[in-house]
Amino acid sequence: MAYIRKRNRRIFLIFLLPAILVLFLTTIYPMIYAGYLSFRSYDLAKLFVPRVFVGWANYREILSSSEFLHSLVVTFKLMAMTLSVQLVLGVGIALLVVQKLPGMPLARTLLMIPMMISPVIVGLVWLFLYFPELGYLNYFLSLAGIDAIPWISSTNWALWAIAIADIWQWTPFVMMGTAAALQSLSPEPYEAAMIDGNSRWDVFTRVTLPQLKPVLVSLMFLRAIDAFKIYDIIFVLTKGGPGDSTEVLSMFIYRQSFTFWRMGVGAAASFVSLVIIVVLITLFFKSLNRDQTA
Amino acid sequence: MNKLSTRQTILIYLALGVVLIVFLMPIYLIASSSLKPSPIMFQKPPAFLFAPTFEHYQDLFAMRPFGKFILNSLIVALGSTAFSLTIGSLAAYAISRIRHKRMNDVAFWILSMRMFPPIAVVVPYYIIFKTAGLLDTPLALIIVYSTANIPLTVWLMKGFFDEVPIALEEAAAVDGYGLLETFLRVTLPLAAPGLAVSAVFCFIFSWNEFLFALMLTGSEAQTATVAVMSFWSSDAVQWGRIMAGSFIILIPGVIFVLTCQRWLVRGLTMGSVK
Repeated sequence: MAYIRKRNRRIFLIFLLPAILVLFLTTIYPMIYAGYLSFRSYDLAKLFVPRVFVGWANYREILSSSEFLHSLVVTFKLMAMTLSVQLVLGVGIALLVVQKLPGMPLARTLLMIPMMISPVIVGLVWLFLYFPELGYLNYFLSLAGIDAIPWISSTNWALWAIAIADIWQWTPFVMMGTAAALQSLSPEPYEAAMIDGNSRWDVFTRVTLPQLKPVLVSLMFLRAIDAFKIYDIIFVLTKGGPGDSTEVLSMFIYRQSFTFWRMGVGAAASFVSLVIIVVLITLFFKSLNRDQTA
Repeated sequence: MNKLSTRQTILIYLALGVVLIVFLMPIYLIASSSLKPSPIMFQKPPAFLFAPTFEHYQDLFAMRPFGKFILNSLIVALGSTAFSLTIGSLAAYAISRIRHKRMNDVAFWILSMRMFPPIAVVVPYYIIFKTAGLLDTPLALIIVYSTANIPLTVWLMKGFFDEVPIALEEAAAVDGYGLLETFLRVTLPLAAPGLAVSAVFCFIFSWNEFLFALMLTGSEAQTATVAVMSFWSSDAVQWGRIMAGSFIILIPGVIFVLTCQRWLVRGLTMGSVK
């Protein structure tokens, strides 16, 4: 590395500068702006200037509004629903597709397709499947003798309708990450466990899972970060309804800002969401560093 | 591992068959419905064999300027990709070569920039772009998408630059190449596959994006994802056109998976899987 002298280091910093500058202007600055707005009464329907400084009023309003707290509950409920199913299904499918059998690499590839589809299209095709009276999903269920389910028109089912669409799109992510991790595991502990006469299930829980754990933890944090941001699928399927049964935090922010044009309140809610996401991101990076040192 | 018995092999293939049907059925539905005449769109049991019609595709381009919206999507996606690759690969090169204990923090800071919830910054963006007169222009979306694409490019390209042998760069330095020249003539060509992968990721992300496109564009700069959503209204849902538009939009992503699936792990798991 002799060629990296002081002079070069300065040039490297110049290489780095545009990226930092652009990210600062396009991400950090809007966040600071959101922080600024959150202390103003900013009603776009009335006047297009930041109006009065209102102190913590917007924060006091959202933190005491049951609507906002409800949206936080729905967000975390949806996160718990999607993450748990994705974890179990994703690991299960990964165990299938890592078998050394013909056709498995092709199956792995085909299963990755949902991830690269626009979330709006995912929403639309599930809307097609759930559609009241016409949708195919209830038809398929009726073949299995299951009564029609009012997927998107019932407060009991709408959150599951959204969860299923998200599970369909992102289970492949857990499958892909787990399969890659499984293929890099060393074979020795397995051979030892097999010689000791353990059953397949014992080998899985005592040898495979402990080795997979750090990867699964990181994958789940990435899914949690994404689940916290979920927006498009809900926008297409239910727009937060029926009632407020699927109003997640991002729908709450959207409605405050663009339906009621109360941008100060929307910004305050945005700032709360930024704080939560910073916690999730920090935990994710901690989980990565832990496997590097482990 | 011990050999699988025939019975186990059959069970594995059966389970896999069910999984494949569940995960591919919606994609088949989009493709087949886009070619079905409207009267049999919801026919039960679903028609597997039918005379395909291209009427929905014709309507799509005749009734609304869908071609223009696709062009908008292309302009925005290509613009953001070019911008992000230029800035991102320079930064990635610096992060890969500077040996300093804080460099890891810089890399993580850049990566974290793509994890923030878009909805939290959409209000500031809306106001900033409105003030700057950039609402409903492709430039606004190019800028906004770069906030996700630059971190991704930095993250991916750093991995590729780390693999380029330093000895080659030292040899170039001995030959009298400057740093930028070494980067452009020696390092970057060796990391060309990384550039291709980053480009495709940036392109697909921008092509698929919906929230910002919905909020920050109107009739002029509207992209295909927003346009396809406009065929949905509470009184009449034009399923044929929705499916035809959806099929067109999902093509780039499907091609990407089928051709470069081995890079998906690296691009999506952000270092969770080594």
